[in-house]
Amino acid sequence: MFWQRLLSLEEISGIIIYMKKILIVEDEEILINLLQRKLIQGGYDVLVARNGEEGLKLMKETMPDIVLLDVLMPKMGGIEVMETMQKEDALKNIPVVIISNSGQPVEIDKAQKLGAKDWLIKTEFDPQEVVDKVKKQIG
Amino acid sequence: MENKEQAMPEIKKNKEAGSQEETSRALLNILEDVEKERKRVEEEKNKTLAVITHLADGLLVFDKENKLSLINHQAEKFLNIKAEEVMGRSILGLVNLPNFKVLANLLGPEIKGIFRKELTLDKDLIVEVSTEPMMPRGEKLGTLVILHDISREKMVERIKTEFVSLAAHQLRTPLSAIKWTLKMLLDGDLGGITEEQRDFIEKTYQCNERMISLINDLLDITRIEEGRYLYKPAPADFGEMASAVVNYCQEEIARKKIDLDFKKPKIKLPKVSVDAEKIKLVIQNLLENAIKYTPSGGKIAVSLEYDEDKKEIIFSAKDTGVGIPQDQQSRVFTKFFRGANVMRMETEGSGLGLFISKNIIEAHGGKIWFESKEGQGATFHIVLPVGG
Repeated sequence: MFWQRLLSLEEISGIIIYMKKILIVEDEEILINLLQRKLIQGGYDVLVARNGEEGLKLMKETMPDIVLLDVLMPKMGGIEVMETMQKEDALKNIPVVIISNSGQPVEIDKAQKLGAKDWLIKTEFDPQEVVDKVKKQIG
Repeated sequence: MENKEQAMPEIKKNKEAGSQEETSRALLNILEDVEKERKRVEEEKNKTLAVITHLADGLLVFDKENKLSLINHQAEKFLNIKAEEVMGRSILGLVNLPNFKVLANLLGPEIKGIFRKELTLDKDLIVEVSTEPMMPRGEKLGTLVILHDISREKMVERIKTEFVSLAAHQLRTPLSAIKWTLKMLLDGDLGGITEEQRDFIEKTYQCNERMISLINDLLDITRIEEGRYLYKPAPADFGEMASAVVNYCQEEIARKKIDLDFKKPKIKLPKVSVDAEKIKLVIQNLLENAIKYTPSGGKIAVSLEYDEDKKEIIFSAKDTGVGIPQDQQSRVFTKFFRGANVMRMETEGSGLGLFISKNIIEAHGGKIWFESKEGQGATFHIVLPVGG
C-alpha cells in the first residue's frame, strides 16, 4: 500500500488538505496496477472496481470525485454504467472519463451524450496523460 | 409394229407410275428427314433448355423489345417469382413488381451493360449481376441477364473481417499494458534504471508503437470493409490540416536532410466538408511515404491549389525518391501492396496506407492518383470537391 513507502511532499499535503477520490472501473489487472500507482503518486486516493456492477456499488458507497471507466467489462459494461448513473440523482453529476480500447466514433458519441467528460484510447495515451486529464477535470 | 404401238402407252404408263412412285418415295424420304431433323432440333432445344433450367446461375433473356422471353428456375428462385407472372412483360412493367423491383432498377429501362455488379436481393442473398447483349449476326436479338450467387463468398468475407477486427481488438489490451509499463519505466515511475536499460526500453517502446500502428491500420481496413469508416463530415480548412501534418513531419525531414518546399495557395481556401482526422491521415500517409522513400539529401515539394471553376482543392506531394516500378503501378492502391524496390530498401511497412487513403478520398467524392518512374521519384495528387 502507498503508506508503506516514503511519501512525497505533494502526497502528504494532498492527504492533509483533502485527497480527491478517483474510482477506476477496469477489468485488466495490469492496467489497474499501473494507473493506481501513477494516480497515487499524483496525490490522489484511488479506489478500484473490476466490473461495472462493482463500480456502481462503490460509487454509491464512496461518492468519488471522478470515475475512470472502461467500456468493455464483464457483468456490466461502461455505457450501461453511465446509463444507470444518469438515472440516479446522487451519481449523475460525478464526472466520468472513459478509458477504452476502442475509438469507435459511434461509441464516443454515445458516451458523450451520456455526459462523459473525456475519452481516452488506451493505446494512444499513457498513464501520465490520464493523470493530466484527471487534473484538468478535478484539479 | 401394232404390238409395238400398243405396247408404248403401256410402257409410258408404267414409267409414269414408276416416276410417281419415286417422287412420292423421295417426298416421303424428305418428310422423314425433316421430321428427323425436327426431332433433333427439338431434342437439342430440350437439352439446351434443360441445361439453362438447371444452371446454378439465374438466367433471364429479354427480347429486342426488352420483354422477358425466358427465365430459368434459379432466377425464379432468386427473385421469388413464378415464370408465368413475368413472362412476356416488358422491363418497364416489371419495375412495379415488388420482387423484381431491385433488379429492374439496376438494369434500367434500356437494360444497360453491367459487369459483375453486386445486388442484395434478400438479407442473406447477394448476387452478382451481369448483362450480355445477344448479337449472333451483328443484329441485337435481345439481352442475357445473369445472376450469380455470391452469398457464400460474402459470408466468408464477413467472417474474415470480423475475425481480423476481433483479433486486432484483443491485441490492443496487451499492447496498451506493454506501452504503459514501458512508459512508466522510462519516466522513472517504477524506480531508477541504468542508461543501457533505458536504451533497450526506449527501443522496445518504439517496436510496440509500430505494432499498435499496424493494428490500427488493420482495424481501419475492417471498418472500411464493413462500410462504417467515415463519420460526420464537418467544414475544415485544408491548408491548416496540411500545415499541421508538415509540421508533424519536420523532425524526420530534418533528420534525413531533405529539402522540403511547401507551396501554399495565394488565396485563402474555402472550407471543405470532410472528416478532418481521416483527411489528415491521408496527407500524413503521402508525406511519410515521400520522406521514407526519398534518400537523404533529396527533395520533396508539397503544393496546395484551388481550382475555382471546378470548385476543387488539389494537393500534391512530389518527391525525388525511389519511385514505383512501371509493372507494379496498377497495384499501388491495393491492400498489402509494397513495391519490390521498396521491399529491398526497407522491410518494414504494412502496405495498407495507400489502400486506406484511396478509400478515404473516394468516400469524400475525391480522386487520388500518381505519376512515377522508378528511380526518379513519384508525385501523388489528391483532388477534393469543396462541399464534399
